[in-house]
Amino acid sequence: MSEQSRLLEVWGDTVDSRHLVWSIVLGVGLGAPTYLLAAWAFGQLEVDPGLQRSYALLAGIAACIVAAVIAARLFAPKRIVEIGQETAGSRDEAMDRIEAEIGPLGDPDELPARLVAEVKALGLYDDLAAQHRRRTEAARAEGV
Amino acid sequence: MDLLALIPWAIGMAVVGAIVFGLLGLVSGTDETATIAPITLLVILLGVPPVGVFAFFMAAISAKHITHAIPTTLLGIPGDTLAAPLLRDAQLLRELGVPHIALRKAISGGVIAALIAVPVAVLFAWILTPFSDAITAVAPWLFLAAAAAIAVLSKGRWAALVALVPFVLLVVGLQAFATEALGKGLSIAFFLGIATGPLIADLFLALSPSGRAGMRRDAPRTFELAADSRTWSGRMPNPLQVLDARQAASTAGAAVVSSATFVFSPVAMTVLMGETFAGRIKNGYRRLTSMMAIKNGTTESTYIAETLIPLIAIGLPLSPMAAGPANPLFNAPPVYTIDAEAGTSNNLHDLLEPWQFLVFGLLAVIIAVLMTYPFAMTQAHRAASWIMRKVSHEAVIGAFAGLIAVICLYEGGLIALLVAITVGLVGGILNKLFQMHTGVQFMGYYVAVLTVPAITALLG
Repeated sequence: MSEQSRLLEVWGDTVDSRHLVWSIVLGVGLGAPTYLLAAWAFGQLEVDPGLQRSYALLAGIAACIVAAVIAARLFAPKRIVEIGQETAGSRDEAMDRIEAEIGPLGDPDELPARLVAEVKALGLYDDLAAQHRRRTEAARAEGV
Repeated sequence: MDLLALIPWAIGMAVVGAIVFGLLGLVSGTDETATIAPITLLVILLGVPPVGVFAFFMAAISAKHITHAIPTTLLGIPGDTLAAPLLRDAQLLRELGVPHIALRKAISGGVIAALIAVPVAVLFAWILTPFSDAITAVAPWLFLAAAAAIAVLSKGRWAALVALVPFVLLVVGLQAFATEALGKGLSIAFFLGIATGPLIADLFLALSPSGRAGMRRDAPRTFELAADSRTWSGRMPNPLQVLDARQAASTAGAAVVSSATFVFSPVAMTVLMGETFAGRIKNGYRRLTSMMAIKNGTTESTYIAETLIPLIAIGLPLSPMAAGPANPLFNAPPVYTIDAEAGTSNNLHDLLEPWQFLVFGLLAVIIAVLMTYPFAMTQAHRAASWIMRKVSHEAVIGAFAGLIAVICLYEGGLIALLVAITVGLVGGILNKLFQMHTGVQFMGYYVAVLTVPAITALLG
C-alpha cells in the first residue's frame, strides 16, 4: 500500500494528497486567525468603526497570500507543462474532458476568419480539427 | 472652484484610484463592497473635492474589473465577487491551454463595455428613471423565467430544471437560518459557495476512501500552454482586434442592456448577459471566449451604470451597487448626507452637474483603461507560463480555502462559513452528477431571494 501513488486529481489538476492537506491547513490556519486578531485589534484602536472590519479583511487576505507563497515554495507543482509545442494528441484528454462538460468544441473551419487566425496562431487549429473529425466519426459509427 | 482647478483633481484622483484598485484587483477575493466602499469613504473624509471623489471612484471600479480577470483566468481563483460567474468558463479555457486568451478576451470585453456604459448610463438616467419601479416589479418573474431557461439549455437539461426546486429551497432555508441567527441575510457566502462548489465536492470526495480511489492518478497531468499570439497590430492593443465582430457587438449589446436594468444585481446580470448573448453559440471555443468578453464586460457596465443612474437622476442609493460599493458617494456623514425622511440630499447628486458626470466619468474610465489594459494584455502569456511552471495547485487551493474562511468570517462569522460549505457541497454534487452548472445555480440563488418572496406574497 505504501507504494500507492499519492497523486490525486482535484479540481482539474493533479495534487499530492499530503501537500494538499498541509496547504489547506496553512491557508485557513494563517488566514482565519489573522482576520479575527486584526478585527479585535482594530476594535481596540481608535479606528472608524466602518473601517475596522475592512482593514481586518485586508489583513486576513494578506495572510492568505503569505500562506500561498509559503505553500508554493514548499510544494512544487505536479503538472507537466508544454509551452507552445506541436505535439499532436497531447491535448486530446483535455478536450475530451471539456466536451464532456460543455458539448462539442466544434469545427474550427466554421469560425469567423479572425478566430481561425487566432486558433492557428495558438497552435490549436489542428487539435480542434482532429477532435471535430473524431467526434463526427464517432457519431456516424453510432448511427450505423 | 473653477473648471481649471477641477481638472487636475480629477486626473490626479483617477490615477490614484486606478493604481490602488488595479493592484487590489490582482489580489484574489478582495470583495468590492469590502474594499471600494471604505477606501472611497476615506477619500471623502480626507476632504477631496467632489470631482476628485467621483473620478477616484470611477477609475477604481473600472481598473479593478480589468485586473480581477488576471487571477481568475490564470490561477483559477476569482479575483473578487463579480469574477465568480466567470470562473467556470475561465477554468475550461485554462484546461485547453489558453489561459492568456481567456484573460485577453475578458479584459478586452471589459474595456469596450466600460467605455460604452458611461454615455449610455447618462442617457438612461434621463429616460429610465420614471420606470424604475416597473422594472423592479417585473424582476422576480424575469429571474424565474431566466433561471428555468438557463437550466433547460444547460447540459443537465430537465434534470437541471427539476433540481432547481430543491436547490432554491436549500437557499431559502439557509437564508432564513442566517437571517435568524445574524439579523441579516447573506450574499457573498452564497456566491463563494456556488462558485467553489466543484472544488468543495472534490475535497469531500478525497476524504472518503472510495472517492479517493476514483481520483487517484499515477502520473502528473500534462498541460499544453498554447503559443503566445499577438492578435493586434501596433504597440497599443486594440480590443476591437482581439474580439471578433460578433463578440464585440454582443459585448456592446450586453453593456447597453445591463445599463438599462440598473436595479438588478450585478452578479445576476453577469450570468444572465453571458447566457443571453453567448449561450446558444454552437461552436464551443467561440462560446467560451465570447462568454469571457461578455461577462467581464457586464461586470464593468453594471458597476458604472448602477452608480451613475441613481447619482444623476435620483440622489438616493436606489440600486444594489449604490447600496453597496458606491454607498459613500451618496451618504458619508458629515460630508455627504441624505435625509431619508424629507427625501433630500447633499451629495454628489447635488454637487456635480450632469455634464460633469459624463466628462469626468469618461475621463476616469479612460485613465483606468490606459493604466491597466496594455500591461495586462502584453504580459498575459508570460504570467500564465510562470504560474503554470512555478505555482503548485496545492498552494492555490490552500490560499483559496483560507480566502473562503476569511471572507465568510467577514460577512457573517461561522454561520456564513457553514452556509458557504453547505451550498458548495450540494452545488458541487449537482454540478458533477447532473451537469447543473454554476450559472444555473447563481440564478437559483436569485429565484430564492427575489421570486420566492413574491410567490409567497401572492399566495398569502
